[in-house]
Amino acid sequence: MLIELKDVNKTYNNGQPLHVLKGIDLSIERGEFVSIMGASGSGKSTLLNILGILDNYDTGEYWLDRKLIRDLSEKTAADYRNRMIGFVFQSFNLISFKTAVENVELPLYYQGVPRRKRHEMAMEYLEKLGLTAWASHFPNEMSGGQKQRVAIARALITRPQIILADEPTGALDSKTSVEVMQLLKRLNQEEGITIIVVTHESGVANETDKIIHIKDGIIGEIEENKAHTAWDANIIK
Amino acid sequence: MRELFHEITSNLRNNKLRTALTGFAVSWGIFLLICLLGAGNGLMNSFLGNMEDFISQTITVEGWRTSKPYAGYQEGRYIQLDEADVTFTEGPRWSPAVGNVTRQTGSTGVTFSLDGNTVAGQVSGVMADYLEQNKLKMYAGRFLNPDDLKERRKVIVLSLAQAKELSPRNPDALVGRWVNTGTVSFRVVGIYHTDESNMYRICPIPYPTYKVIYDRSDKIESITFTVDGPKTKEDYEAFEKDYGGALRLRHEVAPDDRRGIWIRNGYTDNMEMNEAQRIIRTALWILGLLTLVSGIVGVSNIMLIAVKERTHEFGIRKAIGATPAEILKLIIAESVTITAIFGYIGMFLGMIACQIMDKTVGQRSVNIGMEEIRMLVNPTVGLDVALEATILLIVAGTIAGAVPAWKAARVKPIEALRAE
Repeated sequence: MLIELKDVNKTYNNGQPLHVLKGIDLSIERGEFVSIMGASGSGKSTLLNILGILDNYDTGEYWLDRKLIRDLSEKTAADYRNRMIGFVFQSFNLISFKTAVENVELPLYYQGVPRRKRHEMAMEYLEKLGLTAWASHFPNEMSGGQKQRVAIARALITRPQIILADEPTGALDSKTSVEVMQLLKRLNQEEGITIIVVTHESGVANETDKIIHIKDGIIGEIEENKAHTAWDANIIK
Repeated sequence: MRELFHEITSNLRNNKLRTALTGFAVSWGIFLLICLLGAGNGLMNSFLGNMEDFISQTITVEGWRTSKPYAGYQEGRYIQLDEADVTFTEGPRWSPAVGNVTRQTGSTGVTFSLDGNTVAGQVSGVMADYLEQNKLKMYAGRFLNPDDLKERRKVIVLSLAQAKELSPRNPDALVGRWVNTGTVSFRVVGIYHTDESNMYRICPIPYPTYKVIYDRSDKIESITFTVDGPKTKEDYEAFEKDYGGALRLRHEVAPDDRRGIWIRNGYTDNMEMNEAQRIIRTALWILGLLTLVSGIVGVSNIMLIAVKERTHEFGIRKAIGATPAEILKLIIAESVTITAIFGYIGMFLGMIACQIMDKTVGQRSVNIGMEEIRMLVNPTVGLDVALEATILLIVAGTIAGAVPAWKAARVKPIEALRAE
């Protein structure tokens, strides 16, 4: 079991207390390709942030690769994020004044990898994603799809066990969206990386092997979707 | 370390405007500080530095006209000091404090002639300490020595201005020559420096020689002596009051008649001078530090905005594995790099500005009545002070960067990522 959540609760205290996650129990196996689906405000992004150790939770337990993730020091949290988790964001979150290859290198910088080695590896991953020609371009010189592929390369470079993607297609057109999802699917199948995608689009969720529905901070239905027919089924419903 | 440096240079290169603004604030602060201290030093050197040349660590007593009636005498009576006053001064009453006592005769106007050239002068009998007491500097030859006095030699020391009159081509050659005053001839043993400022026409000859040739009485013009023992300014003032009062009573002058018998206290003058110098120096530093504060505020202001602007970037860095320490290190290192580089530039420009001041305003002189003085003398700042100021600014820059950096390092990654 790579990820195990037991009765995780989270309340935001901005003026009025807002109980976002109301006892989440969830298990995700190594090598799964999962989507978390829900409407906005359902708590899906909060859940992803907790999974990514970007945010903390109030009660319950979160086990990641048999380590209890609770009350970690910032330093340890940063180290876990760096070595175990790769992030792909809706708005790409590339550093605007760094070129594509420098952006991809950055996680390795924080691991203390020497510059030459870092650069070689970053170029390797850019090549894998067909971006060799764009290596020395800045983010604002690239299309949305290219930027998201740079972000994916950055997420992959530390060889993480999990990739957490928060609405990875949210800022992309439908054609590029399909390409990005195909890319994630390929990474899951060929490299065996566990991928968790948060989305509110059923089309995107349909590409994954398992769909976890979340509503009002509670896990609802968990659909097995190996045949990728959930979308059709939803339409029929 | 090299990795960090590379990271910083790429950050700075890619944020040119921000770098330039921060850099300008730093350079400007240090530039102003150095200009201010340089100009201040120049002014101080010109006013106090010049005066220091005239103050020797001695007390000098001279008789003049009384300013108030006393003991049945009317005011305006001329007071003449004599050998008895020297004996009084050397006497047991003052013996622990009073050190070496010297005296100077009045002066007699003469005309020197040599090889058809003539020049006027005032011959005065002095002791060998006269050179040091009056802060004269020798140009050629030597000053009078104790043997000259003991043997009542007919030797004389001329001023450079006089020497040039007598021997226009080669004043140095005058040393060793005999100059004629009509009645007596003196052998020139030395020439002392004169600047335009003092109208020195005084030509020192040995005290006993003068007494033999010009004035066989025991009258003397002034007594100069060193004092040992008093420490503070109050001690010296008390001594001056005590001694002056007693001396005045000897001549039946009111004890507080400062004109009847005039006392110049080189010790207290010097202390006052040092005090003035200290006050000016402190004032300059306070002004300078205030200027520096504006530079520091500039730096911290820009750092604050820069860090705020980059919160999102720091969020990204944290998400991909930057620890708070890494963020802190990055911001502080950037801050130090900027302040160091631009601080150095500011210091360099400031020192150039000081040089320009020296070459322009520094060369101009003003007439303040008794003498010509240069507006600014050597208006520069020592390299040590400049470096100190620059290091201070770098430290301040670090602190200025540290506060916002600390806040940025502590912000939760999810909050940083939400910031725009």
